[in-house]
Amino acid sequence: MITAHGPILPLILPLAVAILLLFLPRRAQRLTRMLSVAGSVVQVGLGLLLLRTVAEGTQLVYRLGDWPAPYGIMLVVDRLAAWLLLTSALLALCALIYALAGGDREGRYFHVLFQMQIFGISGAFVTGDLFNLFVFFEVLLISSYSLLLHGGGGPRTRAGLHYVILNLLGSAIFLLAAGLIYSSCGSLNFAHLAQLMAGLDDSQLALARTGGLLLLVVFALKAGIMPLHLWLPAAYSETSAPIAALFAIMTKIGLYAILRMSTLVFGSSAGSLADLYLPWLLPLALLTLLIGAAGALAAARLGRLAAYLIILSVGTLLTAFAGGTGGIAAGLYYLPHSTFAAASLFLCAGALRRCRPVIGDQLIADGDLPQPLIMGGTFFLAAMAISGLPPFSGFIAKLLILKALPQVLVWGMILTTALAAVIALARGGNQIFLAASGPMTLPRGGKSVVLVTSLWEVPAIAGLLILIFILTLAAGPALEFTQDTARQILEPANYIQAVLGGG
Amino acid sequence: MEILIALIIGLLSGCGVYLLLQARTFSVVLGLTLLSYGINLFLFATGRLVIGQPPVLSAVSSPADPLPQALVLTAIVIGFAMTAFAIMLSLRAQAELGNDHVDGEQP
Amino acid sequence: MSLMLAILTPFCGAPLTFWIARRSRKWGTFTALGVCLLAALCLAPMAPAIYGGAASIQYLSWIPAAGIDLTLRFDGLGLLFAQMILGIGALVIIYACYYLSEKDSLGRLYALLLLFMGAMLGVVLAENLIILLVFWELTSLASFMLIAYWRHDSEARRGAQLALVITGAGGMALLAGFVLLGQMAGSFELTTILLRGDAIRAADNYPLMLLLILLGAFTKSAQFPFHFWLPRAMAAPTPVSAYLHSATMVKAGVFLLARLFPVLSGTLFWSWWVGGIGLITLLLAAVIALFKHDLKGLLAYSTISHLGLIVALFGIGTPLAAVAGVFHLINHAIFKAGLFMSVGIIDHECGTRDMRRINGLWHSMPHTAILAMVATAAMAGVPLVNGFLSKEMFFAEAVSVGGQMRFGWFLPAIVTLAGIFAVAYSLRFIHDVFFNGEPVNLPKIPHEPPRFMKIPVEILVLLCLLIGIVPQYSVEPILDVAAGAVLQGPLPEHDLAIWHGFSPALFMSLIALVGGLLIYLGRQPLFALHTHLEGRLDGRKIFEALLAKILAGAAHITNFIDRSSLQQQVSLLVGATLCLGVAGMLPGPGVLTNLPALLPVDAVSLIMTLVLAAAALRATIGHRQRLTALILTGAVGLIMTLIFVKFSAPDLALTQLAVEVVTLILLLLALYFLPQKSPKESSPARRWRDGLLALLVGSGMSLLAFAVMTRRSTTISDYFIANSIGGGGGHNIVNVILVDFRGFDTLGEISVLAIAALGIFALMQNLKLKGLEQDAQGRPFDPDKYPLIMATFSRLLLPLALLVSVYIFLRGHNLPGGGFIAGLVTAIALILQYLTNGVVWTKKRLPAAQTHPLIVWGLLVAMLTGLGSWLFGRPFLTSAFGHWSLPLVGEFELASAMAFDLGVYLVVVGATLLILINLGLFRSSTAVREKKTWKS
Repeated sequence: MITAHGPILPLILPLAVAILLLFLPRRAQRLTRMLSVAGSVVQVGLGLLLLRTVAEGTQLVYRLGDWPAPYGIMLVVDRLAAWLLLTSALLALCALIYALAGGDREGRYFHVLFQMQIFGISGAFVTGDLFNLFVFFEVLLISSYSLLLHGGGGPRTRAGLHYVILNLLGSAIFLLAAGLIYSSCGSLNFAHLAQLMAGLDDSQLALARTGGLLLLVVFALKAGIMPLHLWLPAAYSETSAPIAALFAIMTKIGLYAILRMSTLVFGSSAGSLADLYLPWLLPLALLTLLIGAAGALAAARLGRLAAYLIILSVGTLLTAFAGGTGGIAAGLYYLPHSTFAAASLFLCAGALRRCRPVIGDQLIADGDLPQPLIMGGTFFLAAMAISGLPPFSGFIAKLLILKALPQVLVWGMILTTALAAVIALARGGNQIFLAASGPMTLPRGGKSVVLVTSLWEVPAIAGLLILIFILTLAAGPALEFTQDTARQILEPANYIQAVLGGG
Repeated sequence: MEILIALIIGLLSGCGVYLLLQARTFSVVLGLTLLSYGINLFLFATGRLVIGQPPVLSAVSSPADPLPQALVLTAIVIGFAMTAFAIMLSLRAQAELGNDHVDGEQP
Repeated sequence: MSLMLAILTPFCGAPLTFWIARRSRKWGTFTALGVCLLAALCLAPMAPAIYGGAASIQYLSWIPAAGIDLTLRFDGLGLLFAQMILGIGALVIIYACYYLSEKDSLGRLYALLLLFMGAMLGVVLAENLIILLVFWELTSLASFMLIAYWRHDSEARRGAQLALVITGAGGMALLAGFVLLGQMAGSFELTTILLRGDAIRAADNYPLMLLLILLGAFTKSAQFPFHFWLPRAMAAPTPVSAYLHSATMVKAGVFLLARLFPVLSGTLFWSWWVGGIGLITLLLAAVIALFKHDLKGLLAYSTISHLGLIVALFGIGTPLAAVAGVFHLINHAIFKAGLFMSVGIIDHECGTRDMRRINGLWHSMPHTAILAMVATAAMAGVPLVNGFLSKEMFFAEAVSVGGQMRFGWFLPAIVTLAGIFAVAYSLRFIHDVFFNGEPVNLPKIPHEPPRFMKIPVEILVLLCLLIGIVPQYSVEPILDVAAGAVLQGPLPEHDLAIWHGFSPALFMSLIALVGGLLIYLGRQPLFALHTHLEGRLDGRKIFEALLAKILAGAAHITNFIDRSSLQQQVSLLVGATLCLGVAGMLPGPGVLTNLPALLPVDAVSLIMTLVLAAAALRATIGHRQRLTALILTGAVGLIMTLIFVKFSAPDLALTQLAVEVVTLILLLLALYFLPQKSPKESSPARRWRDGLLALLVGSGMSLLAFAVMTRRSTTISDYFIANSIGGGGGHNIVNVILVDFRGFDTLGEISVLAIAALGIFALMQNLKLKGLEQDAQGRPFDPDKYPLIMATFSRLLLPLALLVSVYIFLRGHNLPGGGFIAGLVTAIALILQYLTNGVVWTKKRLPAAQTHPLIVWGLLVAMLTGLGSWLFGRPFLTSAFGHWSLPLVGEFELASAMAFDLGVYLVVVGATLLILINLGLFRSSTAVREKKTWKS
């Protein structure tokens, strides 16, 4: 099954689950939840299977409709795709479990939209076709719009409005870029494009180059790279905690697309268009780092702090991607870490908002928290993880990034921004957890609500932290894998060979 | 003829962008509509302009490039879904924020 | 392995102790002690070999790919520190159990102390520098939690934060330094690094690397100018100060200098930086200490000063100096821990630490007084106590080294001066606290503490005396192996005798003692001077001001960039697109070069273009009149249709037409709930800016479009044209592409449509909107909602429309048409019913269309069609078709693609209806809505 239909399974599964859920009557809450969670669990299993299958270096190519490449749409699972599939599946599972605490009842179709979101994300990772990538971007965007707005409320609606309109414009640019590339190369298949790039004449070259750079704009918008990051803090801090946690993968999709394009279509085989993105990456990365650090220091709420730390991690990843094999390997190791860490921080913020009805997740002191040990402890670990303090995987990743890019400026930025994160988190934690004392401020006339972290919140956060622990303990094999991955994607010939055969 | 189409594309996208930059949700939605006209036409144009050769076999000898047409068709439908969502969202914003300014507050 | 166990024991013991101590303080204490013992037992078996001068390395693989493995090293230096960490740790644990009041959680303190103990062991037993750094940072974190132990005291929190930031910054520098060092040595393993000393010292990056590492060491060991965090850390409970901030953690920096001594030392750069900083710290802190009224403050500064002394010794760089450094490191740990504990006792008994109020305790607590005096004597460097010996060696080194360089005299001078102040503050401590009249209104009546609280102090004081009197038998062995491990070579000639004859060092000691006495006697003017200078140059104030500036700056930047304004974000995105677009096009050849033959322009097209341009521009400029703008936009859409017709895209034309109609209806409905006009709000300048951006985008698009249309290139479409009939079984290539060649796109696309519909449905839930009662001109709307003629007409129209859509659907595979268009036509036909007959009427007759079944079935059909091909062992969405003949109907074709298209059809109908009806519902009387929501 895995070898025959492997690449499509992680797409069909969430789609099927979503359709199934739509058949259930609205009152079948428990069944809906069970199905949804079961789907996500199986998705994780699929991720693991695929990872194991491609670990030896084979690329699974799936010819949809049985049409030969490059005419049909190809799904391709290589090390990179499998790595990201697994990451997103694990993240989704944890976010979903957290949502069972009640977030999924705030509006209609939560689980359907959630599964559709996974459908879109997985599709974006495995597709080997430019226009199909566009379609899956739309799938994941339209689901993300609804999930972001899930539950409603003024600020959330405003953030959603900005997010939606900005991304609609982004989609238009995507179409433009796709058109440019099709008109210049006459194909849409990544592998085929990579092959054609080298043979373009000047007039076509300009169009292809423009298309490529416009794609960079689109992906930068998705990834939240400065100066296109402005939608991110509002959207992530205003939406509900589980969705914010799930969105921790969103920026990574943009980064994935950048990496895929820059190594495959505009990779070493692209002739004069080779490394089209490379000169842009490092400057943008350093600026993004700066903005992220400043925002983190300036943040007044935990959610916003976490959002800016995501921007910080985007900058770090982009820096890594500019660092050749070593850098990309380190980056790919850092990617799941930063995703899980940021997600756990968002979930902490969510739990905090529920425990402090009035103050919410503002970085100021309030009454003594329920289960201070659990909440403080999880926050402490999450903070350590995301700010890249040892012994967690983030520390190792940062170290390797430093090794990969021996430049004073890069080192300075990476280290000072990391320090900034530490300061911001220390100040926040100081206020929220250490300075907390006395009874909790309750809404005026509000009856004393039960202020305990729910049955589902703790395991979700703990799950993410455990994932980080595993990533740390298994750093050896994990890094070997990401190094193989880096080597694989930097050698596009294999990919092209696998897709086009003979080619 | 190519020049005319090119001008139309430019005009539509230009108008679309101008409306996108306005401060009211309805104008923005109109802008998105115009912009998507322009983009769709552009995508269509990547198949070059052919007159009287619809890509329906048995009718013609050398049909126009069908792929861009298929892509545009997809783009049109997706665009419709997105426009619908955007306009509904602006209604929601109107209801929740009490005005239709894109930033949710009257300047 | 056993080393790993020794490190892990405290980590695992911490939660256990926490759990037990919550139930019984006594048993908690025993557990904690047990943990220390266990850790010691893990190391004990190897100790003899280490005393023999051996060093054992234990390897545990972690990340071989990055040269980071859990390699641990147990040698003389590690042994020395392990003894201090575990020994003093045990004493502190005993002490804390009496020091801490009942209301404080002893368990938390023990747990944190044990965590710190484990981290510290990790630092001193690490062989791999990165592992060392890992534990190094952990000690910082543990110290943060320990300083903030009394979390309700804001001073404690601030102190903890300060310590974390300073040491954290040091950690970052250290990381950079280690990576550099690792790259120079080609490994992070100490064994390798220690062998590469010469190469490393010769490397170009040596100064940078050294500075980074020194930053780490000096921040940790509170050297000038980073010393100010240590006094603030005194907000911690005294056991913590006794353990972390005198004996162990602050020694980590010194430990690092000792560890890397053979590699880094021996250059002028090293001597100047390490020696210089050490001396400055030594003198400065000694002077400040004299003026501290707070007992712990005095001890904190004296600690800083002594650390400076040790650093200075390593800075001098001679083997003998290194030995002296290690020796003083031992002595200081012992007497300073003892002193902190006795100060803790005094604090505990008097309820204050202010020396201006604590006097004459000699009468109330003589036993404690004696203990404190001996320890203080060691601090001052009085003969027969351990501090004297190492200080003497220090003096001797200062003289001998100073003798070898120009202006060498200043070295002994500074050293002696520092000695003088050390004696002075020691005298002040003893005299003020235990004599000097009567106590001044103390909160408590002081008396001797419980017996067991003094035992740890007694042990430490005993050690002071033992080392001070019979060093050869007490400290010699461990000192030798430790110093040996530091030097990585033969030990220099040294003897630890008390009497070296009348050496210069002896005179310096005498000067120090006498001078100290004099200074203390003449202290009044000095205190006056100090109170005058107080707070003029407070490192912490400067630092916090700096931090505040940075925070303000960050807030400034962020608020400047992030204005949460959509218009700003859109213009940024447009700007970015323009920049990269230009960057992409500039290098290429001109767009207008070597053009092929263009299609001729005919009059109709020209006119149409002009109409379109007029409509678009009018809509844009007059966008504030919303209804007009909307209708004009619709007109533009219709002309688009004509363009598609002209350029041989019938499918597109049909789709565009249908979508146009639906969109128009939708926007009209929406406009009903929105203001009819936009206010005039953007300033002229703003309008110019927008116009400019629009102009640039427009011209850019035109150029690109023209370039695209005038460049020929071979595409993959030829394949589609060739295989449409043979492979896809259809003549309409576009439709075949949609449902077959690229059917997967279509699956994603109908998913988008479906999700959009569901999302909109969710969006519309319990949404309160009020429509307008009158139109823009203020005329009320026609009360007759559903004009009769139109209603009946449309009802008659419905079957016809449905028939048409079925026809369009069926022929789709071979002629223009297909699922999309058919679906849209059906949807429009139905919507017409809603518009003309009202939602309520229609809903009664079309229940299915009310919510999502159509969509679900559509998605299901599409997906199952795709999955169907699995049964034939083919990939997803593989199509099959065949020709069948029935009587009457005759020859016709059935393709699996048609089933897929059916799915598309259903989704399109369902989604479109769902979207529009939900909006239409608002127009029908709200009463209906209320009932509906009531039922559901």
